[in-house]
Amino acid sequence: MVSAISKSFGGVRALRDVNLEVRAGEVHALLGENGAGKSTLIKILSGVHAFDSGAIEIAGQPVAFDSPAKSREAGIAVVYQDLSLVESLSVGDNLMLGREPLAHFGFVRKRALMAQAAAMLTQLGIPLDIKATVGSLPFAYRQMTEIAKALMGEVRLLILDEPTSSLTSDEVRILFDAIGKVTRRGVGVIYVTHRLNEVFEISQRVTVLRDGVNAGTFVTPETDMKRLVNAIVGSDRLALPRAEPQAGRAVDPAPVLTLSNVSNDRLRAVDLSLLKGEIHGLAGLIGSGRTEILETIFGLRPVEGGAIEIDGRPWLPKSAADAIDRGIALVPEDRHVQGLVLDHSIERNVTLSRLPYFSRWGWMQQRAAARRAESAVRRLAVKAEGASSLVRTLSGGNQQKVVFGKWNDPRPRVLLLDEPTVGVDVGAREEIYGVIRQAVRDGSGVLVVSSDLVELIALCDRISVIVNGRIARTLVRGEIDDAEELHHLLQLYQASGQDTAKGAPQELPA
Amino acid sequence: MTELTAPQVVAAPTRSDRRRKLLQNLLRGERPYMLYIAFVILLVVFSLSSPWFLSVDNFLNIGRQTTLVSIVAVGMTFIIIARQIDLSVASTLALSGMAAALAMSQINNSWVVGAVAGLGTGALVGLLNGILTTQLSIPSFLVTLGTLSMARGLAMMVTNTKPVIITNETYFAIFGEGTFLGMPVPIAWTLAAMIVGILLLHYNVFGRRIYAVGGNPTAALYSGINTKWVTTAAFVLTGTLAGLAALVLSARSHAARPDVVQGMELDVIAAVILGGCSLFGGRGYILGTLFGSLIIGTLNNGLVLLGVSSPMQLVIKGAIIVAAVAFTKR
Repeated sequence: MVSAISKSFGGVRALRDVNLEVRAGEVHALLGENGAGKSTLIKILSGVHAFDSGAIEIAGQPVAFDSPAKSREAGIAVVYQDLSLVESLSVGDNLMLGREPLAHFGFVRKRALMAQAAAMLTQLGIPLDIKATVGSLPFAYRQMTEIAKALMGEVRLLILDEPTSSLTSDEVRILFDAIGKVTRRGVGVIYVTHRLNEVFEISQRVTVLRDGVNAGTFVTPETDMKRLVNAIVGSDRLALPRAEPQAGRAVDPAPVLTLSNVSNDRLRAVDLSLLKGEIHGLAGLIGSGRTEILETIFGLRPVEGGAIEIDGRPWLPKSAADAIDRGIALVPEDRHVQGLVLDHSIERNVTLSRLPYFSRWGWMQQRAAARRAESAVRRLAVKAEGASSLVRTLSGGNQQKVVFGKWNDPRPRVLLLDEPTVGVDVGAREEIYGVIRQAVRDGSGVLVVSSDLVELIALCDRISVIVNGRIARTLVRGEIDDAEELHHLLQLYQASGQDTAKGAPQELPA
Repeated sequence: MTELTAPQVVAAPTRSDRRRKLLQNLLRGERPYMLYIAFVILLVVFSLSSPWFLSVDNFLNIGRQTTLVSIVAVGMTFIIIARQIDLSVASTLALSGMAAALAMSQINNSWVVGAVAGLGTGALVGLLNGILTTQLSIPSFLVTLGTLSMARGLAMMVTNTKPVIITNETYFAIFGEGTFLGMPVPIAWTLAAMIVGILLLHYNVFGRRIYAVGGNPTAALYSGINTKWVTTAAFVLTGTLAGLAALVLSARSHAARPDVVQGMELDVIAAVILGGCSLFGGRGYILGTLFGSLIIGTLNNGLVLLGVSSPMQLVIKGAIIVAAVAFTKR
């Protein structure tokens, strides 16, 4: 369908002679690191960008789009990562938005609208309540609403851009069922993801992009994880070990941070100690209170009961500024909303959290700030023209490095990380692990929340399991060495969450 | 085919780099040039069509006429960059002027008392705006719509709508009629406000915080910035500058009147937006604001010289503002 597409932005060639063919009824996975050209390719297919050379054909007919509307007309529908639904409207209203059946004088025929929406959903086999307000739906159902909306009208090719990045495993199941129903109607699907296991679960073929060129197309059942990773990363970088041996790094048994009996509206009697030079993981399902523990320590949520000690001295966080003063740093969960000012430069973002360091009596030391930002860009290997580049123009992994750069220098005593590698590609992920390990080597204590259990096991010295706002159990490295096992443990504690919450004996390792 | 460019290593800044940086600092914004081009076109058009336009006297005239808008617009730039709005500035100006004149007439006829009362009243209204906006989480549009009405009402109540005469000669000299370094003092005060604005916004930590709060309030909060305090400070600054404008106006007219500058907030907001501030926050610069208010002042002046009727002036001014914003928006 796509042949020899090239595209340059300024002096940078984002795509070079890229080929991609999607058959009717096929799920075709598209893989690649951030910045490999996936997003550019999708934007070309959806008519957002024009291409410089090459050709696109749909069912043998050459096509060219200069606007998203043209692409839509040609039968290409895109579901982006950030959904485009009106949260205050119902599912039915959202589906029919812009094509409402009208009576005279522009009045909407509400009943006909709902009937059409319902018929559409039945035809797609997607089980959604058309009257439900989109804002009240779980994420998977919003996503399905989005897919259903994308499929309104004549669609030949459906593009899904990381649809599962914020879904729980049950929700992923629901979504995959819906995708299956769509392909059975003969729609071709391009499935962009970072999660390789999904590729094997859902796709028939895989195309990998690397640095803007094809790095191979594979028939899914005939390939394996190793070959795909090889194609994504390039063979030279494959040697990086996932779990680094802990030699040369002594965990100091003095706790840098202690929480005893800390409670508030989301936490119930949390006891936690973070040692100097330790990476301590917090595992739990979404909504278990993992993020809230970090936010409480960072002064964003009030402490209503219990006590916190930092370096052995009692302290109650009053605000984020107070926490930062004490040497606490937070890399928040959502970098776009909480971590970065997207329209500002790297320099402004990196210096924002440490403004007192770059000023004297309130006046900015512009040169010192610029120098610090340049060195952060270099040390964290942020791919950007310089510290004055706008953060919006960077890829996800590089944006995340900028968020780390806000706290890199001077080293924080306590580094709080919330999902530090979500939406970050394989290569940048390894670099971020390197940054975390360097921080603990320099004596920081790291508290990390992650849904990626493999990541937790590879990184952490200890892992605490969070259920219903309290710590159900703390595991020491070696006690568990398999993500599968940890996953079962989580599900187990979640199921019996009520019991542990009542104070059943907890098996804490000595 | 060229290879992908590798991440660039940044070389040490050369002198021309530094000069460019400085220029960027001053002219911050996506497309500031449109603004200057618009201003130059305006100058050329008026120069060609009116023999009286192109003269030092007339430019001083424009400068004097734009003083009030320019001074207040400096504060409004902070407000709009911080993603807020202040509709109460004209009423605040009127109330501050009354406060200054009354304080002088009551206490020793001292210009210091007048200045403190005027600036203090402005600052207080700003503080009220800031506290209501941040502590009660009421949108500043509504808060300042309320204080617009309240401040104007108060200004009229204190003397039952009568003006208050000012007789202090020093006060006239300092704020209205004297000269400073050869400049009429109103223009000197405008420049002073501009310079303070540039320093605070572009060279002070406060400016960085204002940009961050407007660019992404949540990220600012997560970076340890007291967003409520920063927002309140922007309102206080604007109120204080409205107080300064009140001193200039009352010193020039030898009296404070409760019904002055009605509707001026619209000129002020137009100047700031013309100057390249984004109503969505996070972007803008003081020098742009200066040019924005100069454009509005030049329009007022030029249209009068051309003998355009005052209703027609309003129509033309409105149309030009909309057109200019359409051109300069990103």
